[in-house]
Amino acid sequence: MSSTTTSDNIDKGAGPVAPGERQDVAQLKTKFGPAIRSIELDAADEPVVYIAPDRNTEILQYLRDEQGYDMLRDVTGLDWGGGRPIQVVYELWASERRLPLRVKAEVPPSNPRLQTAFGIWHAANWLEREAYDMFGVKFDGHPDLRRILMPENYEEGYPLRKDFPLRGRFTRAEQTRRALARDLEDIYSLEELAVASRETRTAPRGLGVTAEIPTDVPDLEAKHMILNIGPQHPATHGVLRLVVELDGETIVKCTPHIGYLHTGFEKLSEYRTWNQVIPLTDRMDYLAPMIYNIGYALGVEKLLGLEVTPRCKVIRVICMELNRIFSHLIWIGTTAIDIGAFTPFLYTFEERERIYNLHEAYTGARMTTSVSRIGGMMADVPPGWLDAVRYFIETFPNTLDEVERLLSQNAIWIGRTQGVGVMGAAEATNAGLCGPNLRASGVPYDVRKDNPYLEYETYDFDVPIGEYGDVYDRYLVRMEEMRQSVRIIEQALDRVPDGPINVKDDRVILPPKSRVMNSIDGMIAHFKLVMEGLKVPAGETWYSVESSKGELGFYLVSDGGPKPVRCRYRGPSFMNMSNLPALVKGELVADIIAVNASIDIVLGEIDR
Amino acid sequence: MAKGDQDPGGAGTTRVETEIPRNWIIARLDDLVNWARRGSLWPMPFGTACCAIEMMATAASKYDMARYGMERMGYTPRQADVMLVAGRVAYKMAPVMRRIWDQMPQPKWCLSMGACASTGGVFDTYTMVQGIDTIVPVDVYVPGCPPRPEQLLYGLLMIQEKIRGESFKDPRPRAEGPEDVAKPQLSPEDVELVASPFGNSTFQNRVSGLESSSPILRPGDRKE
Repeated sequence: MSSTTTSDNIDKGAGPVAPGERQDVAQLKTKFGPAIRSIELDAADEPVVYIAPDRNTEILQYLRDEQGYDMLRDVTGLDWGGGRPIQVVYELWASERRLPLRVKAEVPPSNPRLQTAFGIWHAANWLEREAYDMFGVKFDGHPDLRRILMPENYEEGYPLRKDFPLRGRFTRAEQTRRALARDLEDIYSLEELAVASRETRTAPRGLGVTAEIPTDVPDLEAKHMILNIGPQHPATHGVLRLVVELDGETIVKCTPHIGYLHTGFEKLSEYRTWNQVIPLTDRMDYLAPMIYNIGYALGVEKLLGLEVTPRCKVIRVICMELNRIFSHLIWIGTTAIDIGAFTPFLYTFEERERIYNLHEAYTGARMTTSVSRIGGMMADVPPGWLDAVRYFIETFPNTLDEVERLLSQNAIWIGRTQGVGVMGAAEATNAGLCGPNLRASGVPYDVRKDNPYLEYETYDFDVPIGEYGDVYDRYLVRMEEMRQSVRIIEQALDRVPDGPINVKDDRVILPPKSRVMNSIDGMIAHFKLVMEGLKVPAGETWYSVESSKGELGFYLVSDGGPKPVRCRYRGPSFMNMSNLPALVKGELVADIIAVNASIDIVLGEIDR
Repeated sequence: MAKGDQDPGGAGTTRVETEIPRNWIIARLDDLVNWARRGSLWPMPFGTACCAIEMMATAASKYDMARYGMERMGYTPRQADVMLVAGRVAYKMAPVMRRIWDQMPQPKWCLSMGACASTGGVFDTYTMVQGIDTIVPVDVYVPGCPPRPEQLLYGLLMIQEKIRGESFKDPRPRAEGPEDVAKPQLSPEDVELVASPFGNSTFQNRVSGLESSSPILRPGDRKE
């Protein structure tokens, strides 16, 4: 029987070291000399290290082993267009010292090649595949370098390169024709086809002339079978496709195929002004939209060097924690359905309807809230809204108790969840598992504690930590997190200060209509903001917030213009999903559903 | 009507009715068939994104679309009558959606829920289907981003209203043959027509509103 322990030993002494005097960067420079090409400071004075691309694995290995950068938060690309080199960005985090580091390698766009970092952090697996898919960077030595979001036979190019048009290279008619003409067998990998069609050893039709079944696959004599789940399946929580190789009922290998909801958020963001991106962010994670809205606004404010008002900070905390509850509620409801318990779904949806009403009272929308603006919020909260939130958090724990009574001691629930989908702490850190899943594995990493934003360090709350890292622990951690969110909201409600919600800065926030209509300076400010958009100074930054699903990172690059050069959203579900094969290996086929539900995915954000 | 011989009205008045068994009903066949089809629409929830969550809210206890005969969510297309396409559809998903539509037996209807499914919405990008009506025939479009549960219910009631006017002898709405499988719903010219940029969408470039530009500029073209 596992249990959830709350831990106060998160405080690892001093907070983040003041930038500019970083020991580790200096040591890196002395050790590798000319391989460290240059060191720059980004918009928030955090170091960016440019390394020689041919020595990237060596340097990254050193950083992990000697400098304690045990987490790879992101691998992505950055293209400036015009034939300039493509930058491959590694975003690292040292959890002991609580320090970030950004490492960049520049490769030519004509032949972008790098060594894979998969051997150093398993988290690089899907991240590098995505960089390959979007930028065409080839990672030598990667075990499975295929397109991940776009179809495998996609022929239009690499979408996030600057010379790629927003709408694609082909006409819409041609894109539609190609999409429908695709043979569904194209979407199996060669290896899967080898298992399925080992008798003939010929490629099924539609695969193209170049495809050949690898001959070194051992003859399996019908011992294994391939089972396809999805992409349209109620238990995949969206449009996820899993190809499972089975030996009897035991899972030999599970291959997730994603991208069925790829929307092009990152490309589209480059064609929107900074404030116009906000409505896109809540369509990425529609289960916790306000966390995305506010996280993005925080990132741009960091780039601007802007500090929001005290009232705005507290309101933002209330919104974010409310949405953590919002998201965990649908998680518990759908996971219970997947495991066979229908009642919690009805209970939790009742509570969700109450949060929908709170959303609606504040923003006018039930789900796509778009609540934040750069420099503040869309509006101050309406009268009585804070009282409604207080009433909600006073009554909501009763439902939580009821759901716990239904599940926690339920024999079927325990039998389906305990000891299933286990991952240990070291492996989880290395493989990029994040959020409640990581904490269920026993790693006390929570961005709210380790790298606080919005003054989270002044709130009194615990971070629940699991013991065994199985599905049951993930359930317990999320239940406790909801109670902790209630605690945070209680404290925040007690301290909501009076004062303006938005910063008083005409370059950032639209002036009130009375000023626009009555004064020339108000009119000019309004005109410039509407017509030109917000001007963000050139620079780049990384901002992390703790989403309901894990560490949500925003990597934002500006060249001083009205629109971003790059908006990278590091989705926590994407990282969690990439660990599904490791979590289900050796389990029974029915456990896929339980494990997949337990890691709390939202496909809108995995596929982006 | 009670049995004739127990009728207090007197002998001879209700003799004929006793000849008719009690469970007869006289109606036009169309009305009867349409009534049956209307009252037991089984949805095939093809939910992909945000709209799917509102679809779940519609199925949950507060709105409860089972009240209108949608008691059973048919997660298999073989046993479903109305496909609810809720959310954005990427080109990678398009053949899957078309196959599900092809697998559904007649009679069948399609409801397009939300802006993205109906037109592509704000996502005029390289990967998004610009309206599922380029791929499958759509009966009812429900606007909204996402539509409220009441809107979805109203859309379903509109499908019921549409069924009320159908005649099961009319073959045209149900015409479908093996040659139609996995074919786009519209001709290439029509796809171009409905999917080409319009309105604000034509100004998708990387310069601000104060700088004039040709319609689509690459970022390298921007002033340094």
